[in-house]
Amino acid sequence: MRIETFARLLDTHGADPVCWPPASAAAARALLASSEEARALHRRALALASALDESLPGPDAETLARMRARLARAVAAAPLPEPPRAAPGGWLRPCAGWLRPLWPAGCGALVTLALCLLWLNLAPAPTAQPWLGAPPLLAMLELPE
Amino acid sequence: MPHALFSIAGWEAPITERSSPEAVSVPPMARDRAAAEDAALLAWAAAGDRLAFDQLATRHLPALYRIGLRITGSGAEAEEVAQEALLRAWRHAARFDPARGKVGTWLCSIASHAAIDRARRAAPLPLEAAPETADPAPDPEAALAARQRQALLDAALRELPPRQRAALALAHDQGLSGADAAAALSISTRALEGLLRRARGLLASRLRGILD
Repeated sequence: MRIETFARLLDTHGADPVCWPPASAAAARALLASSEEARALHRRALALASALDESLPGPDAETLARMRARLARAVAAAPLPEPPRAAPGGWLRPCAGWLRPLWPAGCGALVTLALCLLWLNLAPAPTAQPWLGAPPLLAMLELPE
Repeated sequence: MPHALFSIAGWEAPITERSSPEAVSVPPMARDRAAAEDAALLAWAAAGDRLAFDQLATRHLPALYRIGLRITGSGAEAEEVAQEALLRAWRHAARFDPARGKVGTWLCSIASHAAIDRARRAAPLPLEAAPETADPAPDPEAALAARQRQALLDAALRELPPRQRAALALAHDQGLSGADAAAALSISTRALEGLLRRARGLLASRLRGILD
């Protein structure tokens, strides 16, 4: 493991080796044992974790009692919990489950249809062909005298 | 859409897929609420048992307060966050699906979303309003150094976006696994790792001289 990867591991997962992903924990421990730079990074990460722990006091007993009392009053005044909602879709759910594997094909068909409509709208209108009009055809049908 | 709406929706299962816990069948008079697991307490609460919900709230209030404090940076806001999260949990108790995670993680999720919403609405926290922490060092020099470090850390934490503070609150302070913390924040594990990396990186850079 490179030192940059180790620094990234510490930033992502913290200083506690228990939290490191198993795939990279062994390599990280080996680097920690062999590199003074890695040990310095780890000490810094431990110090940051410790500072974070110290920066977050829990509620004192008075605050906790006040919060419990307020919550108990609010819950007593609140209506009973809402009943669970029925499953969306009702009887359509089994059909939706059966059709789910087909949704890529359905999306493809919709996209193709949209492209066709777009092409039909953007394509230039057909111009009138002079040799296909009624007068030339009638002229062609006229028998020479 | 308020961020807090995600906290309930992600944990809800359709009623047809939900397993009904056997705990609900215990009559109220026979319930041992102090010894009951969180899932049983929540199931009883969903059936209208306010004493069971009080027991559940007592267990989780300190953790929810700490989540609120980390994300909002204010003790008063943290109290509001804990109260709001638990009231929301009371209202939606019947929608919780135990198959999708632990009750504690669900409550952490509700609290962190509520705190993120509050932190986004609130003005930046003035330095004087930062929570005071107890100073365990008897040595005056060490106490001064600790106060300086704390002030720097508080200032650096205020620089973080609320979502990064929430990631720290769940993954570092509450010790949730990456998957649980990501589920609580309704994001992917990769996104959570990005939030944590950026948060720790900024804090380390701000405290560079202090942490060495």
